[in-house]
Amino acid sequence: MQDFTYVEKKEERPLAMAYVKWQKFDKVYDELEKAFRIGTIFPELNKPFTGRRCV
Amino acid sequence: MNGQEQLLNNINIVDFTMVDLALFLDTHPKDRRALDYYAHYSQIKRQLCREFSKKYYPLTMAEADCEKSWSWGEAPLPWEGGCVHVEL
Amino acid sequence: MWSYEKRLQFPVNIKEPNAKLAQIIISQYGGPDGEMGASMRYLSQRYAMPYRDVAGLLTDIGTEELAHLEMVATIIHQLTRNLSMEEIEKSGFDKYYVDHTLGIWPQAAGGVPFNACEFQSKGDIITDLSEDMAAEQKARSTYDNILRMIKDPDVCEPIKFLREREIVHYQRFGEALRLTADRLNEKNFYAFNPGFDRCEDCN
Repeated sequence: MQDFTYVEKKEERPLAMAYVKWQKFDKVYDELEKAFRIGTIFPELNKPFTGRRCV
Repeated sequence: MNGQEQLLNNINIVDFTMVDLALFLDTHPKDRRALDYYAHYSQIKRQLCREFSKKYYPLTMAEADCEKSWSWGEAPLPWEGGCVHVEL
Repeated sequence: MWSYEKRLQFPVNIKEPNAKLAQIIISQYGGPDGEMGASMRYLSQRYAMPYRDVAGLLTDIGTEELAHLEMVATIIHQLTRNLSMEEIEKSGFDKYYVDHTLGIWPQAAGGVPFNACEFQSKGDIITDLSEDMAAEQKARSTYDNILRMIKDPDVCEPIKFLREREIVHYQRFGEALRLTADRLNEKNFYAFNPGFDRCEDCN
């Protein structure tokens, strides 16, 4: 079975392709219940919505 | 929260942790930390589900007990909301 | 194949009916950027994937979207199940009620029924993953729009959860695209379709 382990190669990003930054396993919320209410166990992926029209 | 609500809440939390880890592992299949976390929570979830099914009602068909009646069919449906007290 | 767990992925316990909100939120059930489209899209695309790990990711996210579909249906059900006839008539919900009573039927807020034109399964991995990334953003935008309209915390909590899941899925599809690009010829990612063409150049 081929090894598909991904290795981030920063210098090699040719044109005409979209690149999402590769997530590395860093922090996980200590309190799982808090993570559950938020919707992810990874704090770096927590992007809440705070917009208001104010008109 | 009563005992039933608390146990279901814990199952939801542990299973969700596993789902988020599983998606991470789908793209990072060799990440040791994620693999270890997943194995750890997988065991906890199994125990919690077994406990819930024994005390209240089966969460999966596989956990349905066939002693008195078809407990799977008598279990409340998830959209009913609230904590539906069950007596099987 | 699928197993079913008799619980929602995230709890929904709504005390206050709200027909107007139900008519809006139904877009995340059967609308163009809703959970039915999402699950059908990913579960349909997975067959033509040339890489097992990407097919696996599509299966897992597609399965999670089915759980989200169930949550959205539950929200609509709980927002409408105790409505009086007067509330049904006053809120404009009467147009839906006449055809469906309190049944859940997949349509957009504007009335367009769910249909397969709301997603694509192109059979090209770069195209399909790009579609998937766009789909997650469209769903996230729709949840933003819904959140601007909600004051009830019972409804807010599951909606915020669902919105955050879209962001996580976006990251995963983005990673799948990185894995794919990494396996293709970096001089020309589009030389051939790895899910269809047997060779890059048969001359």
